[in-house]
Amino acid sequence: MAFTFSTFIQQVINGLSLGSVYALIAVGYSLVYSILLFSNFAHGGFLVVGGYACYYLLTQWGYSVAISMFGALIASGVAAVLTERLAYKPIRERTSMTLYLLIASMGVNIIIENLFVVTVGGRIRALPQNTFPTGIFNLWGGVTLSASDILSLVTAVIFLSLLQLFLNRTRWGLAIRAAACDIRTAGLMGVNVTFLISLVFFVAGVLAAVGGIFLSVRYSLYPQLGSITTKAFIAAVIGGLGSLPGAVVGSLILGLAEMLTAGFISSQMRDLVVYSLLVIMLLIRPAGFFGKEISEKI
Amino acid sequence: MKRNIILILIGLCLAFWPMGGYQEGIVILMCINCIAAMGVSILTGFTGIFTLGHAAYMALGAYTTAILTVRYGVHWAPAIIAGGLMAVLIAWLIGVPTLKLTGDYYAIASIGLGEAIRLILENWQSFTRGARGFPGIDPYTTRTTAVVIFVFLMIITFNFLQSRLGRELKASRDDATAASLMGFNTPRTRMKALVISAFFCGIAGSLLGGYMSFIQPSMFDMMKSTELTAVVVFGGLGSMSGTILGSAAITLIMEYFRDISQYRMLIYGLLLVIIMVFRPEGLLGSNEVWDLWGFLKKWGKKKNA
Amino acid sequence: MKKVIFSLLCLFLLASCAFAAAPIKVGEIATVTGDFAAYGVAEVESIKIAVKEINEAGGVLGRPLEVIMYDCRTRQEDMVNAARRLVEQDKVVATIGPSGSGLCIAAAPIFNRGHVAHLGTLPTNPLVTVDDNGKVRPYNFRICFLDPYQGAIMAQFAFRDLGAKKAALLYDVSSDYSQGQREFFIKGFESAGGTIVADEGFRGEDVDFRSQLTNMKDSGADVFIFPFMGKSLPLAVKQARELGIELPIVGGDGYGDFMWEISGETLRNTYWVSHVDRYDPTLKTFFDKYLESAGTECQEFMNAVMAYDCVYWLKDAIERAGSDDPEKVRDALEATKDLKLMHCVLTMDEFHNPKDKDGVILKCDEAQKKALFFVKIRPE
Repeated sequence: MAFTFSTFIQQVINGLSLGSVYALIAVGYSLVYSILLFSNFAHGGFLVVGGYACYYLLTQWGYSVAISMFGALIASGVAAVLTERLAYKPIRERTSMTLYLLIASMGVNIIIENLFVVTVGGRIRALPQNTFPTGIFNLWGGVTLSASDILSLVTAVIFLSLLQLFLNRTRWGLAIRAAACDIRTAGLMGVNVTFLISLVFFVAGVLAAVGGIFLSVRYSLYPQLGSITTKAFIAAVIGGLGSLPGAVVGSLILGLAEMLTAGFISSQMRDLVVYSLLVIMLLIRPAGFFGKEISEKI
Repeated sequence: MKRNIILILIGLCLAFWPMGGYQEGIVILMCINCIAAMGVSILTGFTGIFTLGHAAYMALGAYTTAILTVRYGVHWAPAIIAGGLMAVLIAWLIGVPTLKLTGDYYAIASIGLGEAIRLILENWQSFTRGARGFPGIDPYTTRTTAVVIFVFLMIITFNFLQSRLGRELKASRDDATAASLMGFNTPRTRMKALVISAFFCGIAGSLLGGYMSFIQPSMFDMMKSTELTAVVVFGGLGSMSGTILGSAAITLIMEYFRDISQYRMLIYGLLLVIIMVFRPEGLLGSNEVWDLWGFLKKWGKKKNA
Repeated sequence: MKKVIFSLLCLFLLASCAFAAAPIKVGEIATVTGDFAAYGVAEVESIKIAVKEINEAGGVLGRPLEVIMYDCRTRQEDMVNAARRLVEQDKVVATIGPSGSGLCIAAAPIFNRGHVAHLGTLPTNPLVTVDDNGKVRPYNFRICFLDPYQGAIMAQFAFRDLGAKKAALLYDVSSDYSQGQREFFIKGFESAGGTIVADEGFRGEDVDFRSQLTNMKDSGADVFIFPFMGKSLPLAVKQARELGIELPIVGGDGYGDFMWEISGETLRNTYWVSHVDRYDPTLKTFFDKYLESAGTECQEFMNAVMAYDCVYWLKDAIERAGSDDPEKVRDALEATKDLKLMHCVLTMDEFHNPKDKDGVILKCDEAQKKALFFVKIRPE
């Protein structure tokens, strides 16, 4: 294993490209956490919904790429809102313990995953090869950059900027930020909290769908695809749960850590490093890089 | 005392009631799941520390016992105890730095720790055969063994929950600050709960290894950990008999649906959500079965009067 | 009253009919979900076809075959449970499938303890039919060739036919199948005079192999060896090409036509060891039937052919045993000699493996999106 500069650069590119996919997913996690203070494990399910919606719109019903993608975003958003209305809202109204929400969200994740296993089967699928541009750019010294690397980075940047604009420039964005500070006060100030929470879930679902489409282009599409969100969740924790810039930074750190470990230490140590990072971060600074320091949160 | 006799009677029934090989398997599985759930209940239900990584302690128990019996020819009985003790040792090492985390943060850390333990077992190929799994374990977990260990641990648990230590646990759950003001050493209490629960899970893992004759790190993943905590919540936080009933019920339901294996996980997921939505306090809330019995008696008297 | 008696009579007749032709229960375990889902679905379909053919032709010993199928989700744990259930609850005469070596090894003790024979469709690891001490597992059989054989074929092909001197390996650490092939490839390739310049591992559920592939690329290899199966295979090929690697890639029998959907034309210049040639004219009727019954082209053709032939192998054994007693069927399976099956003539050797089967190398043709026959190899 020769440690050359070009290998290093290649691994950094690989890491950033993986990190940008994590970032799209992690931001969705963090967004929900910032309002409801619980880790929504059903996020992986929303992602799978998006992936399959895009696949079927494109291949079975023959819509164009743009319409299929748009349809997938809406499908995931709706799935997320439905989940919140049917499962989370009744629980929130009964108890303030976030653990119940956490377990329910894991249940929803299992339901969505297995709904696809039962209906469309466990077969591995892929979006058609020509859906997105493919191609390889040779940089110096044998380092390559594929079109999908650039595409995932660009999409991540576009969607995250759109989200930033939405949060900073619109009335509902302001309301969401207010609710993230203190949801009860925001409610007292006249914000329609039920609608607001649905909106947050919708946005999170849309982001998950973008992630899902990406993963199915880059890797492939299968019902267990959502399990990759565990990594994105860890990225969100490392960056600081509830903080959007934190989620992005955490994702990039995680992507780099994974690829550099696999490249220069051992590919089997990759996940071990990820989980160790998580535990060490929690021990040193439980609130992550950007999180709010809160002493007690039950 | 009366309760202990009833428990022993139930145990005798489970152990000696004539049944086919398949039904015996279900009883064994039920005992194993109940032991693990009891462990998690002590930590989560009675001490208020949420964990999503306890399957790792099962893995430690299972691997310790498997390696001791297969490689070193140790008899299974001491090997099972060694499995429990290994889980205790690791739990203690982990508990020292992490138990100071509270609320969600401990739960998240426990995910990381649980997965890390699993990954170490997976990567230590020369010793554990890694992700390919460890085959050829003697089938030492017979119905009698499983039931005897289960009933024994159950009796100990019920009695210890009413002892001083049991009250200590509940006090530190209900109000940690007040408990330490009253002279309880809360951090030590939390550690005790963690260590005991790890011991239970370790034993359960050892038994599982003997039942399956094959273990593999992926059997003890985050799903399994979630299942353990979910069962405890389903039975009722702070209710040991509820935990046991819930765990037994879930084992039976899941076994019942094995025929339609594709739908099995779907049903499991639905069950989790439905329980959380409609009865988040669980089957028995924080009551025990005999509390209910007493309640019924009182209620009957009132009605008669 | 008359009506009641009549209907009771009818019921009795029906019941006695059913009793006379009580079906012979055959167990099947398949990977219908999970990582190897594609392979399992093909096995289920082709076993259905074989059983239908047999039953329409009058069954076995005058009795129809009934298949009891359980999914094992490509997980050893579920495999063990399914095997237990077939042996203890359903009391099947024998069990067919699945294809994964790790799965078969995990369940082997259950079949041997329960005295029910197990016929592996495509588990190629040696430990499927022999235990760690080299003793034959009396109740385990297989219809395919083994990893030492397959590893030797790959090594010989890479070294001689492709003229490669330096090989870079990527393998799945969580799979017995992959580890076995890797080991035997290295042995064969090094003894032929080649060197292994990179040896990288990944874990079963990983989807991103670019960091390993980058290392392999920088190792100066002139061939890539991919001894694994499942969804990792097409992903690894695709990612290798994305990193600008145009070297030939040689893999084991994990190939399936499903890979074209994921990798597309990046499968160019790849070679795969196979048990059969998909476009062999003698197999055409079977694949036509498959298309008609399943509604799709058979993509995982190796699994389909093997599973189909396993049913006929079992049928032959039951007929030779003259009963559906699992012990007698096992003895008959062990004594299989010169049995003409669809894809081969089957003779069992002393280790319950088929004797003298040829390996086929397929080459992917990106224009036709097919893996075509390239060369037939029998290692020395």
